[in-house]
Amino acid sequence: MEKFRVLIVDDEVDFVETIVKRLIDRGLEVDGVHSGPEALDLMDTKDFDVVILDVKMPGMDGIETLRAMKKKRPLTEVIMLTGHGSVESGIQGLQLGAYNYVMKPVPLDDLLKQMTQAYERKLIEEERSRQAGSQAIPERV
Amino acid sequence: MSYRDFHPYLLSLLILFTAVPLAFAASGFFALGAVMIAAIAFSHTRNLLRATQIAEQRRRAADEQLCRTEKLSTVDEISAGIAHEINNPLGIIAQETQWIQHLLQSEPLKDAKTVGDLRDSLREISIQVDRCKEIVHKLLNLAREMEPVIQGADINDLIKNMVALIEREAATKNIRVTKLLEPDLPIVYSDPPLVRQVVLNLLINATHAVDKDGTITVTTKSNENDSVEIAVTDTGSGISKENLNKIFTPFFSTKPQGKGTGLGLAICRGIIERLGGRISVTSDVGESTTFTIHLPIHREPEGAK
Repeated sequence: MEKFRVLIVDDEVDFVETIVKRLIDRGLEVDGVHSGPEALDLMDTKDFDVVILDVKMPGMDGIETLRAMKKKRPLTEVIMLTGHGSVESGIQGLQLGAYNYVMKPVPLDDLLKQMTQAYERKLIEEERSRQAGSQAIPERV
Repeated sequence: MSYRDFHPYLLSLLILFTAVPLAFAASGFFALGAVMIAAIAFSHTRNLLRATQIAEQRRRAADEQLCRTEKLSTVDEISAGIAHEINNPLGIIAQETQWIQHLLQSEPLKDAKTVGDLRDSLREISIQVDRCKEIVHKLLNLAREMEPVIQGADINDLIKNMVALIEREAATKNIRVTKLLEPDLPIVYSDPPLVRQVVLNLLINATHAVDKDGTITVTTKSNENDSVEIAVTDTGSGISKENLNKIFTPFFSTKPQGKGTGLGLAICRGIIERLGGRISVTSDVGESTTFTIHLPIHREPEGAK
């Protein structure tokens, strides 16, 4: 599998620790943080391909974080993780450009499949924006 | 057979009739020739008529399609136009609100008695501005010419995924979600996040329609003409015939004011059409409603049609 860069954002410290370890074991380049602001700070200095983002976090929640991430790095794909099927935030997340919305707990292989597809999408979009060349990126609201 | 249908064949009949005098005056050989010419003329006429009919049908279908697309895109364009115009003043309102909030922190005002009330109403203004911004955002999305990103998708997996999101909440209202998914459904080349958005939207609508104690059924099947069909049926109260025609129109909503913007299904329709598919609805009032999506297995590149 191609090595791509992943960022895990979840306030559950144990969860982040385990999943980071397991994904590195699968050959990915993985960072883990525990809040939205931390994630956004890290994205200033490092370019990620795929972000796994928990919906329910104290302070800045997943939806707010997603909105800020898409503004900062429109091409980075975000997979939302939710412990409880929060329906309204689900549709909101997808409308804001999340790649998928996945219920916890998710088997690692399933998550990996989703992440690979999200990465594939990012490559397609990058290729497209390269082809568009000097054309300005359309203004976003 | 009316005169109009009969008329083009007149020539072949005339030739056929000349065979009779020819048989008497000349010979059977000439008569046979005349019959053959009549037969050829007949078959030519028939082919020609058939081709004309097919062309006519196609033209009519194309006209209808064009008319519909034009009507829809006008509504979308107007919506987007309004959204654009409103977006700037909204931005200014939001900024000024933040500025006032900032000023209220300053020394002479900080402890004034009425400042608490002021802060409360400014907070409310912020909330309402955010609400407007969200609607504007949706409207702009509706009309935005965005090119889908085509990837292979397992539609059954995608549906299981989205059903999982609503299942728990549905269960608390005693709504059962049944999946009738065709095994071996072909991989569909489409834009998976967009399809997810539509499927989830239909599922949420279905739970709202049932309210409590009922069933939602999600069905998938493949069609011969290279498309897959996704159907979401709910045992809700149904949609009246007059509302059925308006249901995909932006801002049409039967929900009470403030609940839902009436953009959900308009967005769904926009997405599915952009993916080269169709979305339709049928309903038995008091019984059930079914939304059906047809998605092409291979989405044609833009402009291929």
